[in-house]
Amino acid sequence: MTQHVAIDQREFSFDELMTDDQFEESLVTNEIRCHGGYIDGEYVSPRGALRRPAIRNWRDRLRSEDQPLITIPEKYVPPNYPNYDQAKYLLQEGVVEPITRALTTIAIVEGFGARIREVSVPDFDTEIEESIEGTAVAHLSSGLFEAHARDEAGHRDQGGHKQMWEAARDAGLDRPEIPDDVLLRLMSGGPPAARKRLYPELSERMESMLLMMTNVLVIETFAEDTFNWAKKLLGDAEVSADPQRAAHLVDCIARDEVPHVDYLTVALSELRTRTLIGADGKTTLSGANVVDGVFRRQLRGMATVRPQQSRERSQADIHQAVSDKHRASSIARRFEELDSGWSFPHCDDEELDVLLKSA
Amino acid sequence: MSADANSSVSAFASASLAERAYRSTQISWTGLRVWFHYQVLSWWDKLCRRDPDARDLHAVHQKNADLIFRTAVTLRGMLVKMCQVIGTRSDIFPREYVSVLSQCQDRLPAREFASIQQVVEEELGKPIESVFTEFETTPVAAASLAQVHRGQLVSGETVAVKVQYPDIEHIMHTDLTASRRIAAIYARFSDNPIDFLPLLDELQTHLRMELDFRREVESADRVRDFFAHDQDVRVPRVFEEFSTRRIITMEFVAGAKPNDLSELHAAGIDTRGFMLRLMRIFNRMILAHGFFHADPHPGNIFVTADESGKPVFTLLDFGLSKQLPRGFGMGLFELMFSMMTFNESAMLRAFRELGFETRKGDDDTLLYIAKRMISRSDTGSFQGEFTEDMTDEMFDAVRESPIVKVPTDFVLVARAFSLLSGIGHAIGQRGNALDAMS
Repeated sequence: MTQHVAIDQREFSFDELMTDDQFEESLVTNEIRCHGGYIDGEYVSPRGALRRPAIRNWRDRLRSEDQPLITIPEKYVPPNYPNYDQAKYLLQEGVVEPITRALTTIAIVEGFGARIREVSVPDFDTEIEESIEGTAVAHLSSGLFEAHARDEAGHRDQGGHKQMWEAARDAGLDRPEIPDDVLLRLMSGGPPAARKRLYPELSERMESMLLMMTNVLVIETFAEDTFNWAKKLLGDAEVSADPQRAAHLVDCIARDEVPHVDYLTVALSELRTRTLIGADGKTTLSGANVVDGVFRRQLRGMATVRPQQSRERSQADIHQAVSDKHRASSIARRFEELDSGWSFPHCDDEELDVLLKSA
Repeated sequence: MSADANSSVSAFASASLAERAYRSTQISWTGLRVWFHYQVLSWWDKLCRRDPDARDLHAVHQKNADLIFRTAVTLRGMLVKMCQVIGTRSDIFPREYVSVLSQCQDRLPAREFASIQQVVEEELGKPIESVFTEFETTPVAAASLAQVHRGQLVSGETVAVKVQYPDIEHIMHTDLTASRRIAAIYARFSDNPIDFLPLLDELQTHLRMELDFRREVESADRVRDFFAHDQDVRVPRVFEEFSTRRIITMEFVAGAKPNDLSELHAAGIDTRGFMLRLMRIFNRMILAHGFFHADPHPGNIFVTADESGKPVFTLLDFGLSKQLPRGFGMGLFELMFSMMTFNESAMLRAFRELGFETRKGDDDTLLYIAKRMISRSDTGSFQGEFTEDMTDEMFDAVRESPIVKVPTDFVLVARAFSLLSGIGHAIGQRGNALDAMS
């Protein structure tokens, strides 16, 4: 399935990182041809023929240098809200709107993942002391970001995760009516506040790139629970119109996300092993300190405040949707009984340390 | 003040029949000259056995647009409004007309105060002094349908009073009748006529609504409600008890122009993220609420600073507000998204959802139009910004492909986005709708 790549090959061209496997059949859904395809009846992710071995080789190099990989502790991953039992109960009671809204929002947010191609990378030659030859970092702007963007939003005649989530929603919920307020809710937050620099010694580009990469890695890691939730819910024959198809599509998306988590993990771990040079060309900072610091900052918001607010908003939306139903109070009561709860991690820098595991 | 006013008004009434005859003649004369300028070239080409379609019409379009502009500025009233509407219809009229006639903005000579005072007193049913302790006789702005005076209410608030011209309904009737006549003659003699009559019908409906200022107040109220909890946006308060079908009394506001960086800085406004904030406001109206202020030219947006220097946008003049059909926002979002990824099948689906039609239902024409539009972007790809160059190119392509029907809603939204993009470019930022969402 995977093209033969020598274990010491660590330089790849843009075109190589975009290369697909030799698919025997395409993935077509909702009359849209999506990316990826089938080999021996098994779904294979797009742009993987050389991207997969490339990431593997970069990771192996870290291992050979005895360097650790960053990883996000599982205890910080918030469970999807509503949980599977709650969501299934809502569908059984005909309260489809909150689930449709959630799946549509996921599709749109996935599509915005294409924005990663607009990250402007710093001048690594002048801003990193050591060589980055043969690393994932060296390939960020020459294929890895672009491949990621194409996976999320689709490219030319191929749909990406945006279209696949929409198709999974339409298959599972039988082409539900899309709530009018999906875009309104997406835009309901205020404009982004002016960001305070974390490491003013670094160039703005270097800091922005690190923030973007850590942000996406946290989102991708947190999404794992959402994939499991969606696969189980849309694959449940009691509530899904086309359980096989819907669950399969979610599974395909989940598989496609693996290389995203992998390359971001490897690239950020590589940066931990380097010395970063400040914008003045003289100041130096340890990559490990900077990457860990940025991670802590991201996790502090993303693992605590944001899921809490998101959960509260969803809970209010669901109760609003339930209130229109006959037997509203008993549905609301049962819905709350099914809540498995979750205690949000304490917001403390020391506790939010990013664990390191062996590469 | 009252005696002078009455004599002026009666002189105006006796002159109105002659005025209408004069307007009618001037409009017809202008129409005839425009037609003649084209026809002479066509006759000459036929005489010389040249292909008339191969002729570059830029110069004659420009000459005719200038001629219409001069007539409109001389006659004012409804003709200026019609020019403003033509200035928004890049999908129908050549670029030269759109460029010249969209300049028919709010810079017209004022009407004499007596006629304005009469309208105010008729509408409020009491002498002007009993409502306003001050009412400046020189307007702060004069436009095609109305002019705006600054005043102070008896209760102490400083207000802006928008007063409709007394004779505007008669003028509308005269101008539309004359325009219909010209359109009929044009259709009779032109080889390849644009059907102006539906446009005139649309214009008539639109103008009737715009002449009822209660509707404008309702539109302002709706938008104010949308942003009730948003500190970035303000819609001036309307004093309903002093507002009627022909006058609006609202809170007087002032501020910097959004397209003048030095004015913004002088006002202490932090311009970082300025366009993201402004685009976010219009995104919310267009994509989320489905009702929007469709004329965001710089004169309709004032900017002030909040206590921390962040910009606060005050939206003015809701005369051109538009209700969009259900699902339009999502359709537009899908179109922008598919243009960003150049996903052809998704793009075609979005075009159709928005109401684009081709006579034979062919896809190639729609894709060709999208490609031409994208080709004019600064980056060679669509990233979420409808620049003026891109919308011009898109509408050029539409006009060259008469088999395509573009929904009016889309035309107005594209124009609004391109006006916002123009504001962004004037201050060195981008008016990118997708950036403001993500």
